[in-house]
Parts: sequence; structure tokens; C-alpha cells
Amino acid sequence: MKNVAGDLNKTKEALKKLLPAEDILTFGFTSARGMEFCCVFADPITDKELLGEQVIRALSDYDGEAKAEEVAKKLTSPETKTEPSLEALADEVLLGNPVLLFAGMDAAVVVGTKKIFTRAISEPSTDVAVKGPREGFIEDFKTNTSLVRRRFKTGDLRIETSEVGKRSKTVVAVCYLDGIAPASAVEEVKKKLQEIEIDYIPDSSYLTHFLSSRPYSLVKQVGTTEKPDIFCAKLAEGRIGLLVDGSPIALTVPYLLIEDFQSSEDYFVPAYRATFTRLLRLFALIVAIYLPAFYIAAQLFKLQLFPIKLLLTISGSIRDIPFSPSLEMLLVLLVLEVLNEASIRMPKYVGMALSVVGALVLGETAVSAGFVSTPAIIIIAFSGIGLYAVPNLIEQTSVLRLAMLLIAGSVGTYGIILATAFIILYLVTTENFGTPLVAPYAPVVGSDLRDSLIKYNLGSLKQRPKTLRSPNRRRLA
Amino acid sequence: MKISTRQLLFFLACVAPVGKLILLPARLADAAQNDLLFPLLAHYLLQAGAVFLALLLARREESFTELLAHAFGRTGAAILSVLFALFLLFASLLPLLEQKLFVQNVFYDTLPAFIVYAPFFLFTAYVASKPLSSYGRVWDILAPLFLVGLAGILILSVGSSDFGAVAPAGAAGGSGFLKGVSSAFSWFFDAALLLPLLGKFRYTKGLAWKGALCYLAGGAAVIFFTAVFYGIFQGTAVNQLFGFTVTSKYFPGIAMLGRVDYLFIFLLALVMAFYNSMALQGSVECMLQAFGRKKYLPTVLSVIVSAGMLTAVTLLDRGFSDVLLGVGKWAFWIFPLFSVVVPALMLPLGRKRREAP
Repeated sequence: MKNVAGDLNKTKEALKKLLPAEDILTFGFTSARGMEFCCVFADPITDKELLGEQVIRALSDYDGEAKAEEVAKKLTSPETKTEPSLEALADEVLLGNPVLLFAGMDAAVVVGTKKIFTRAISEPSTDVAVKGPREGFIEDFKTNTSLVRRRFKTGDLRIETSEVGKRSKTVVAVCYLDGIAPASAVEEVKKKLQEIEIDYIPDSSYLTHFLSSRPYSLVKQVGTTEKPDIFCAKLAEGRIGLLVDGSPIALTVPYLLIEDFQSSEDYFVPAYRATFTRLLRLFALIVAIYLPAFYIAAQLFKLQLFPIKLLLTISGSIRDIPFSPSLEMLLVLLVLEVLNEASIRMPKYVGMALSVVGALVLGETAVSAGFVSTPAIIIIAFSGIGLYAVPNLIEQTSVLRLAMLLIAGSVGTYGIILATAFIILYLVTTENFGTPLVAPYAPVVGSDLRDSLIKYNLGSLKQRPKTLRSPNRRRLA
Repeated sequence: MKISTRQLLFFLACVAPVGKLILLPARLADAAQNDLLFPLLAHYLLQAGAVFLALLLARREESFTELLAHAFGRTGAAILSVLFALFLLFASLLPLLEQKLFVQNVFYDTLPAFIVYAPFFLFTAYVASKPLSSYGRVWDILAPLFLVGLAGILILSVGSSDFGAVAPAGAAGGSGFLKGVSSAFSWFFDAALLLPLLGKFRYTKGLAWKGALCYLAGGAAVIFFTAVFYGIFQGTAVNQLFGFTVTSKYFPGIAMLGRVDYLFIFLLALVMAFYNSMALQGSVECMLQAFGRKKYLPTVLSVIVSAGMLTAVTLLDRGFSDVLLGVGKWAFWIFPLFSVVVPALMLPLGRKRREAP
């Protein structure tokens, strides 16, 4: 590893050789006493106003020794450090921190005048709360860590950063509460991060692949949240959080499936209401996955499942439909998925038109034209709504719904039961960071059931979840 | 991953009974001349004793084959393990045929092609490739499902039942009782299912007693269901082949709501899928203990076992009643031999010597 040389021009050239990109600029200036300086900085990500104010103006009358420590003391920037290694200096420049070189230097001075592009902190659209905090993470890493730090005024909060991505060198922070999070899990997270060999990490979702014990699984194994209050609540339970620079979505491990049936609001409303809504979410999810499948299986294989009056209504409405029940349902489901996909990506002003096209043209007209039956539309609409009751599991549940539909159309109800058995076995055998995914139900952890689908009052939640193996279980005296 | 005491008790109380709710009530009604409760009780008492013995074996904290090796050496133990694995396959045959009949008749309006039952063997292959101890967590999930399923069926059925029809119990006399007992042996081998699990759970204080009592609690539920079943169908019980799927259909609300009882039937069918795969997985486990746990052997064995059972079920598709009668008449002794006598004989094996102070 090469170090800076006393010769300013040689060092500048060596640094430029390491950073040949056009947006890496140099700016030379001389102090009133004739000492030569040169700033090397990445133009788009350096705050030049601060650079001028805190570095160039401060050094305009510098008359001290040509020593990095001395020069750094003269600067008015609160973030400075000295660094002799050229490669490290190149990395700093790429992070947006200008490097100050000068004649006769023993080391260069790195100045923290990074330009920060941020959007305002806003409520995440995927996790809206009627009651409770409304702040959401943003893309800026420092803002996100400050949102976390603000909630824990304790030295036990550890935010340990590392760089992931050979070329992107994305900053990833491992956050945990010392003495609350199990040390073995913290070490495992750090080890997994160290082992990642990838060029570029654009978002935290990339990390989930490396943190999962079954990376190709349909089942989610890493928790996600956009809200700092949820993130901090999870840290306080003994989980480990990960903040990734450039991503508004924070990760938490170990993840339990039950987490996605809980919302932050559950903790700000009475326990009976929270229990009701959690059970409602489970019911909605089951309906979303199974209703279209059972409807098809009943039509094709077991008409007895319908009450007689409903059966007559259904038989009346499907009489002239040209497609088989399963094909009809698949078509309606496909249309729903397309509408869903289009509505997410489409500009907002076209949304209204899309709704009209979706509801009237595709729905109403398709029924009156005899392409699809009304019950099929109702079933898929109900299923579609149910899916959004648990928004964090949409990717998984929409695939399961399709799979169940195909199984129901080919094997019938027994196929659905066998597929469910497969899913149960798969879920109960999935573990990540030594934590079973389906805990506290399989294995049953009695004390953790108090904050599962059933939620007890805050006064009863005296201990942290046993499943998370926190060394300090008591959280409420 | 070890099976916990709770999980084991869940299996004995809430999973093991599910296999006795389909054909057994009708079969007993036929063999025991409508005096079906006492033979059932006798089987439960005998099997609870066997469960007690099998659980006592867990005190040694050794696997089934390791226990056998103390008396017969490694080779002898391997041979006996394979023999036991073959018994489990033989024992699973009737429940698999019974389940096939159940699936074809209950889940479809018209008798479907045999192929609809074939995916079950995909499931068993998948299950058997997993470690046997993963069943523990499955039982945690299945126990409440079974309770909801059976409670639902009983609530919908009990109003239609005339319990007076069960009395006087014991009216068929000794011959009826003996015929009933001998005809039902093929449904009772739950203690044998515990043997491959040895070494995968820890013996905790009183586990044997707790296990036997939980098994009897499950048995009480089966006996109560059988009483409800007989109370509804009485003299025609012999013809009601699919026990828990037929008792609730006379619930008055069914006409208006449709067959809501199917929700409970589906739950029990789900539990049954796991229960019926246990013997196959137990058999794979015994073979693995005999041959050693090589890298792909669990998967290969589970595929072979499942494919073999699929072939057997296919070949015996139309001969189920003959097989059932034949086993009841000629081969019924095999079940108590392996599920009661084997655990009893194994008790003295490999007893740890008391260490000198």
C-alpha cells in the first residue's frame, strides 16, 4: 500500500492515477505565507460551499508547519482526520470527503464535507399508522441512524458499520442493544456480512439473500420495516437490525412469521382490539390464499361444499361461460395481477382511468359479455383485498394463491390439503439464526404466546420473547 | 432439534387418535356385533401399556438400533432394525388403503381416478427425507387443529345421536368382544411408532405415565366419538364406512349453510396425512440407523419407500376388503408382537450398570 510523499505534485498525480474519473477534481491554492495546498474531491458528492468555508478560507493565512496534525487543527470542520495511505485517501474521496494535500506533508488531511442529498422524513406508504409515530426511514444512512439513536439514549445501543459491495462499498450498519441481543446472533450477522462477495448493493433487499438460511426459499426469513419505532421496538426485544445506506427499508433478524401479523398500531390500542385485528389479518390471509382454490375444487369435484341455494345461483351464473371453472378463475386472477402491477407503476393521474378500465370495462363488461361469471369476480376481489391485509407477505401469498388454484383445478380439495401439509412441514423446519420461523407456535413457547396472534396487555408482557434468546429477558419490572 | 415432552404428548393425545376415526367404528360394529366400545377400550388399555413401555426405553437415551446392539451386536441390531422397518411398512399398508378409500369417496362427488391419491406419496417422500425430530414441531401445529376438527364434528353430531343405543354395553358377550378385539389389531400400533423416535427426545420425569395417560385421553375421545357414531347409525353403522365424515351431516343447519362440517373434516384429513406418513418415516429412520446416515441416503430411501408403498397401494386398490379381512384373520398377531411385545422385550436390553461410588 503506497503512502503520500512529501512532494505535492507527485502525490496529486498518484492519487489521480487511482481516481482517473472525470468528476474527480483538484483545486490548488496558496496560503498568504506561500504554502501550497491542493484539494482532491469528487465533484457531485462534495459540498463545495463547506469546503470553501471550512478549509480554503481557514487555511488562507496558514503559517504553521507542514504537518497534517497542525493543518487539521487549523480547519474549522468538525470532521477531520489524517491519513497517509493513498488507497485509503482514494476511498475517502469516493465517499465524498475531500482530501487536502500540501507540500512537505507527512500525511493528508481528510475533511468531512460530504454533500448529503436527502428527502424529507415522511410516513411510509406501506405502513400507515392512525395512532402512533409516523416517521419513516429515508435513503440517507445518517438520518436513519439518527432516527434510531434519538429513540435510545443509552450507550448500549451499538451501531457498527461495515462496507459491503466490492465496488459500491455500501455502508451497512449492524444495530443492536448490547446485553439485550444475543452475542452469538450478532457475531453470526457480522460473519455473514463479511462473507458477502458482490459488486453492488443497491438496496437492503439484496442483503436478505445473504442473511437467509434458505436463500432460494419462497418463505421470507428476514424482517423488514420502514418505521424507526418498529425497528427500535424490535431491537428492544433482542433482535439485530441492519440499516443500509441508500435504502429506506431496514432489516431485522431473527425473523418470526408472526411479526407480519403484528402492526405498530397494535401496541397503541387496547389489547382486545389488537387481538381482534391480528386474528382478522390471519383470517384475511387464509381467505386470500384458499378461497379461489376451494371455490374451484368445489365446482369441479365436490359440489356438496356449496349450500343448495348458493349452488343454484352459481350454476345459473356459470351456465354460459365458455371456459372451464379453473381457466376462468385463472384469467380473472391474471387480470387482477396485471391491474395490480400496472397501478403500482402507473403515474397517479392515470390511476383513475385505470380504475374505470379495470372495474367497468374488464369487470362489468366481461360479465355481461359472458366471458366470466360474477361469483368468480367476487371471489377474486375478496381474495385480492384479503391479500393486502398482511402487506409484508404479498409476494409469498400471491404465489401460494396461484399454486393452490392450479392444484385445486387438477387434484381438487385433497390436493389443497396435501399442499397445506407441505407448507406446514416446510415452515416448521425453517430456522434462521437458530430461531424457528413459526415460533411461538411450533415449537410452542408459552410465554411468547402473550404477544402473538393473541395480545395481552402491556403489563403482562414483562419479559422479552424467549424465542429470541436474549441474555436479559426482563423488560418490565 | 429434539422432540420435547409436550410435543410427544400432543402426538399421543391429539394425533394418534385420528387414524381410528374412519373405518374402525364400522368395522368394530360389524365384528363385535354392534357392541363396539369394550373391544375399543381393551385395545386402548393394551396400547397405553405398550406406550408406557416404549417411553420407558427412552430413559437410556439411545436410539432403537443402539439399544438392540447391546444384546445382538451391530449386525444383529441392523438386521432387526430392517425387520422392524418392514413391519412398519406392512402396518402402514392398511391405513394407506383406508385413507385412499376415504379420499376417493369423501373429497370427490364421483369416484375419481386413482391418480388423485398419488400426490400423497410425493408428500411422504418429502416428509421421510426430513429428520424424524421435525415431527415434534408439526405436532405442535396439528394438536390444536385436531382438537378443533374433532370438537367441531362432535358438536355438529352429538345432537343427532341416541346414546341409549349403546346400552347395554357388553351385550354381545365374550365372543363378540374377542371378535371385535381381533378385528381391530391392525389399527393399534402406535407404540411401535414411538420406537424409531427413541434417542430423539429426552426422558423427563414421569414421561411414561404422562404418555400413557395422554394416549388414554385420546382414546377416550375416540370412544366417545364411536359412541356418538353408533348412537346415530345404530344397526346400520356397519355400512357407514367413513366415520367422522358422516356423523355431522344430519346437523339441522347443514341444509342452510351447506356442508360446513367439511371444514372440520379437512382439518382431520390434514392431521391424518401426517399421521399416516409417520410409519413410512419411521421405517426410513430404522433403515438409516441400520445402514448408517450417508449423504443422500435419507432422500433415496424415502423415495424408494414411498414409491414402493404407492406400488403396493396400486396393486391392492381393489382388494382392500380382502386384505383387511385376511389381516384380521391371519396376521393380526403381528401388530401386538411388534407394538407390545417388542418394547417389553427391549426393556432389559442395554440396562446401564450402576457405577461404583
